[in-house]
Amino acid sequence: MSSIRVENLSIKFRIYHDRSPSLKDYFANLFKRQSQTAYSDFWAVKDVSFEIRAGDRVGIVGHNGAGKSTLLKALCRVYESSDGLISVDGRIAPLLEIGAGFHPEFTGRENIYLNGSILGYTKQQIKVIEPEVIYFAELEEFIDTPVKYYSTGMYMRLAFSLATAIHPDILILDEIFAGGDAAFLIKAKARMHSLIDKADIMIMVSHDHQLVTSLCNRVIWMDHGKLVADGPPEDIVARYLAGRLNA
Amino acid sequence: MKTNPPSFLEELYSSRNVLYQLVSQQLILRYRRTALGFLWTLVNPLLMMSVMALVFSTLFKADLKTFTVFLFSAMIPWTFFSSLVSQAGNSFINNEGLIKKIYLPKAIFPLSIAFALFIDSVLSFFALFAIIIGMGGSLSWPVLFIPVAYILLFFFSLGLGLIMSVATVFFRDLQHVILIAMQGVFFLTPIIYKHGALAGKVGWLVGLNPVVPFIELFRAPLTMASMPSSRVIFQAALLSMSTMAIGLFVFLRQEKKIVFRL
Repeated sequence: MSSIRVENLSIKFRIYHDRSPSLKDYFANLFKRQSQTAYSDFWAVKDVSFEIRAGDRVGIVGHNGAGKSTLLKALCRVYESSDGLISVDGRIAPLLEIGAGFHPEFTGRENIYLNGSILGYTKQQIKVIEPEVIYFAELEEFIDTPVKYYSTGMYMRLAFSLATAIHPDILILDEIFAGGDAAFLIKAKARMHSLIDKADIMIMVSHDHQLVTSLCNRVIWMDHGKLVADGPPEDIVARYLAGRLNA
Repeated sequence: MKTNPPSFLEELYSSRNVLYQLVSQQLILRYRRTALGFLWTLVNPLLMMSVMALVFSTLFKADLKTFTVFLFSAMIPWTFFSSLVSQAGNSFINNEGLIKKIYLPKAIFPLSIAFALFIDSVLSFFALFAIIIGMGGSLSWPVLFIPVAYILLFFFSLGLGLIMSVATVFFRDLQHVILIAMQGVFFLTPIIYKHGALAGKVGWLVGLNPVVPFIELFRAPLTMASMPSSRVIFQAALLSMSTMAIGLFVFLRQEKKIVFRL
């Protein structure tokens, strides 16, 4: 069974006030023995702990810049924790930004293989899902055309179909996305729901509070990098919307 | 979660599919939709080297045939080395979009460049063999040493490439510095001239140049039909292993910080 445990997780970003130090600055500062620091530390996530067990559907809410996406990226190992511990049990699917790693010069089919391998699919898996992905994306005619000639909708459809083709144990979503026309959106929603249903664990970040309350059975509220509340969706979302910490 | 060498290799092995895709992406893309296609990979450096051979053989009053083999046997490994080091330097910056969005073992970016260039380079060598035979020359058994030379050169270049890939993320100036440095090193390496020909004020710089033994590894079997001297082999092997070790050390130490500095 899948599970996620996060203990005292902190992630620090270093903000340079004017710019990244150049080679020259670095050597100049080496000899000056530190006059003033040209950067400050920014804790995008500070001392966050929680545990997620199989069956949990977790929504994360919070203002812009509260550290929600950073937390998700840390779970997907994009960001290394500056402090604390993350342990993840189960195959995690990062659906953070679909279409990352598409190459405009490659055809749709080639991108299925390229992007599929980036998403961690094996070659055999990709071979198996390829017809289904093309069918779902409604791109049979254009699959051997370079994706730079695709319309935005076609591009999004292909990326979405591919990213959602394999059922992961742990599903991580940063805003539910899907491009395309109304008909495709309906299809995409259904596919998304079946993906969520089959996942052991789902974690999502969304500003659509109705969606969060309908899909999740637990909500985490983050504010300025800290976890401020964790509990049943209706309760936490209501408190978050009212801007109150205490019920 | 601490990274140590075995888990690093395991991780690389499990991402071999991405690595394969990235390598073929580089090989395919360059000449997509061109009439000669992949052949350009071969034609391009050969034409370039032919021009150099023509100019320098005239300049040095050397026999064109011998000079061609002389030049090509050093130019091919040099091109591999310099392209790898300079392209690896940009490998994280060019893949910033990907690195910030999805977790992949970072080493696959410089590695994919190394493999793609390696394939190009080996193909150029086959072209060189064809040229030698076409010009009525012959290959002798020391040519069999070339695969070993390639292995040594590969790890030497990759080690330096790893260092550059990490260092460039922290100091963007290096993108430009490295190109100029490569120009300088090119002239300080016996490529267009014989080993030992550059004497005088700058002669000692050639002695310090770590690329020199690697060029000798390739040149001896092809131009003198002899094995490189054991001293040269030893030097190259030592340089190769130590550079790779340092490269790996630097890379593993800094790997986790890269994403924060892109």
